Amino acid sequence: MNKLLNFGIYCWSWIATLGVFLVVGLLLFYLLSQGLPTIGKELFFGDAPAWKAILGQVRVWDALWPACVGTLFLVLIAALLAVPLGISSGIYLACFAPKSVKRILSLLVELLAGTPSIVMGLFGFAMILFLRNTFFPNANTSLLLSSVCLALLILPYLIFTTQAALESLSDEYLLIGPSLGFNQIQTVFHVLIPAAGRGILSGVVLSIGRAAEDTAVIMLTGVIANAGLPQGLLGKFEALPFRIFYLAAEYRTSAELDSAYGTALVLLSLTGILYGGAFALHKTLELRWNQH
Amino acid sequence: MEPTLMRHKPFCDIKNLHVSFHGRTVLQKVNLTLSDSGILVLVGSSGSGKTTFLRSLNRLNEHYSGYSGGGKIELKLSGSMQDIHCPDLEVTELRRQVGMVFQTPNVLPVSIAQNINLPLKLVTGLDKAEREGRLIEVLQEVHLWDEVKDRLKENSARLSGGQQQRLCLARVLALKPKVLLLDEPTASLDFKASHKIEDLLIELQDRYQIIAVSHSLRQARKIAGQILVMKEGQIEHLLKKDQFENPEMLQKLLEDIF
Repeated sequence: MNKLLNFGIYCWSWIATLGVFLVVGLLLFYLLSQGLPTIGKELFFGDAPAWKAILGQVRVWDALWPACVGTLFLVLIAALLAVPLGISSGIYLACFAPKSVKRILSLLVELLAGTPSIVMGLFGFAMILFLRNTFFPNANTSLLLSSVCLALLILPYLIFTTQAALESLSDEYLLIGPSLGFNQIQTVFHVLIPAAGRGILSGVVLSIGRAAEDTAVIMLTGVIANAGLPQGLLGKFEALPFRIFYLAAEYRTSAELDSAYGTALVLLSLTGILYGGAFALHKTLELRWNQH
Repeated sequence: MEPTLMRHKPFCDIKNLHVSFHGRTVLQKVNLTLSDSGILVLVGSSGSGKTTFLRSLNRLNEHYSGYSGGGKIELKLSGSMQDIHCPDLEVTELRRQVGMVFQTPNVLPVSIAQNINLPLKLVTGLDKAEREGRLIEVLQEVHLWDEVKDRLKENSARLSGGQQQRLCLARVLALKPKVLLLDEPTASLDFKASHKIEDLLIELQDRYQIIAVSHSLRQARKIAGQILVMKEGQIEHLLKKDQFENPEMLQKLLEDIF
């Protein structure tokens, strides 16, 4: 009976694993077969000459370039806002917070991590409504607003990874600083953070990947389909994930739908590269610690 | 000055030291006066409180969760006996004067030179030229200079275990401590590297008051001026050199203990 149960569990785990591989494989295969043929100058720049489009001298219609630039700016601004805040919070939680404070703050960060992105978008939208009715009648959804809301979305990832990287250091390592007569600040900044640096960095890369792919937040806070290149912090913008959503929802020809697959492929490669970078960082980090 | 009388003067006086972690007693009612007669080696079965005793002397136990403890410890620092819990003595200054080397070499993941430079810079505030002088001095003191003088900029993780441990020792010596605490400093090293460290400690015993935990009786007999035997969080015996140099007597005592 016990043997049969064991065999059953063995088979089931095989089937389950195989199933996951099949689903992911099929998805990738389908995306590649539909999207790969559309990748080319046409997809990125439409009818516009490439160099002039890159320099912003001509307007690009019905192509990816403005969305690529929009996503780039969006991610950069969100990261600029969230990375310093998130890393500092993580350091505080791991190294300085008293136990009772830590418990409350960790709960709040978990709550933030569990907030669906559409709620974050709604929050941004509500904030604009509030500002319009009070201090700034001209306030409107924009690149800045989207970046702020995205920053809120990725903040918990940064806090968690920083905290985890610092807390995973060995007990003996934590004692090097104090045993040499360093005070707490010196220990944190000269011993612990350099050692946790790569872990923290991989958290940054992961959160940037998360910011690049989110659609729900930006949909309510300033992205539009044909904005062209972003015209400043308070202007509207285009973004890759929204372009996929828009093309898939409102395509008129099958070529348009195919270009949505191409766009998805571009976004997937972009986040894939970022995740790959994070993975490589994790690996080297582990290697380095195993040598001790 | 009466240098001959300096020996056998008390350097450590402990009254009613007790330590517990999460309510579990590790050290209890330790009363002890130690005089300076060479290296003091702590032996005892695992869990007997050797390491905790060592960490009491530089107040490092306070960094462990669930710590509670009390008692009075006086150490001879800068010429006079000082209460190590006295508010006038900053804990960072105490730890500069009471240096510690751990069981496994814990070099910082930076260059060889930086391992010594960084603590010097942060703790002593010496200028660059003085730091460089001190770096050469301590690397020579631990006999590492000839091995690393051409690769000071290399990452210290590339040194062998024994070299790393000597670097850790040099890092501590650079801060000019009075007392050296060594927690099984050769536990993770091979036979040859252990011997090197042991010979080094014997050399250093005139310049620093050394207290070492050891897991090996051979080592204890080789380097010790006196042996402190611990059992279940208490001091069982303090053996003088003539006591533990007689193998039969030592054997008998150890059978009593373990």
